[in-house]
Amino acid sequence: MNEQLRAISKLDRVVHEPGRLMIFALLGAVKECDFLYLLHETEMNKGNLSSHLARLEEAGYVEIEKTYRGKVPRTLLRLTRAGRVAFDQYRKGLKAAF
Amino acid sequence: MLTQTSLYGKLYYMKDELQDYMHRPKRYDNIDGTGEMYMGLMLQGFALLGYLQTILPRDSMWRTNGFAGLLFMYMILIPVLALGYLARRMIKKHITWPRTGYVAFPRDKKAWWTGAAAAGVLGAVIGAILAVGFACLTMLGREHHGMMSLARAGYLAFWVLGYAFWIWRMGRVHRWKWLVLLFMALGLFAIALVVPGGFIELSRPVMLFVGLTWLGSGMATLYLYIRHNQPPAPETE
Repeated sequence: MNEQLRAISKLDRVVHEPGRLMIFALLGAVKECDFLYLLHETEMNKGNLSSHLARLEEAGYVEIEKTYRGKVPRTLLRLTRAGRVAFDQYRKGLKAAF
Repeated sequence: MLTQTSLYGKLYYMKDELQDYMHRPKRYDNIDGTGEMYMGLMLQGFALLGYLQTILPRDSMWRTNGFAGLLFMYMILIPVLALGYLARRMIKKHITWPRTGYVAFPRDKKAWWTGAAAAGVLGAVIGAILAVGFACLTMLGREHHGMMSLARAGYLAFWVLGYAFWIWRMGRVHRWKWLVLLFMALGLFAIALVVPGGFIELSRPVMLFVGLTWLGSGMATLYLYIRHNQPPAPETE
């Protein structure tokens, strides 16, 4: 296996999945956002987005906070420190692959 | 070999997509046109300041370049900027966030102060270079008419290029903004033909016109945003 393939094989599989990578890219650029914003930007359906977020929360990469705005429920999302580190390492890994 | 090439191709595409997604939150900040409206309002503030200074008596202390003049500038600009800030906040809270979602940007105090200091220094340096350049061109313009025309053209091009950069960076999805740019360029050309004098005389109608154009463009963006985005029905997430 050459250097580039080795670099690719080292990429974090949790981050590498395209849907989750979109979430990482969006959350990586903000302090926090709500579920509606991710839904709007990723154009995924609610079920799909929820399952990706649940997977990321399970891995400790995303923090999910359920709040209310008046009587309307609002889900706030932010990357944890571990999430930011994982995303940075993923980007470095991707760069190394080229 | 073919598989490996295809894998790299896919990864390369992914890398580009990733970059695009990382820039989306910044573009989202102006999805409702509030950034443009704020800029427009700020320029209106400068235009107002310029016109107020023309109607003040020549020996008024508010027209001096000293402390009173600076205070007068803040007295005009701070309420205008505060109004813009509040309007922007209200639009975000009551129109944008319920429709397409809430986003908060990181506010790292250290990074903010470093950025602000760097922007201040860079702004001062660019301002000084432009001021010296324009002063030289004004002096030369008294002797050579062509130089003044060239300097005026440069000054007007600055506003057109500024708006073009904004469209390219923030509003690429709205192709009609390129027509607004054309309108701005033609309008500035017409102003340059009608208004005689140096930069000070030219800057007042230019600020007013450019500010109104930014404001109008922002309002049109907001109108289109409201038309195309309805708030979703509340349900569990």
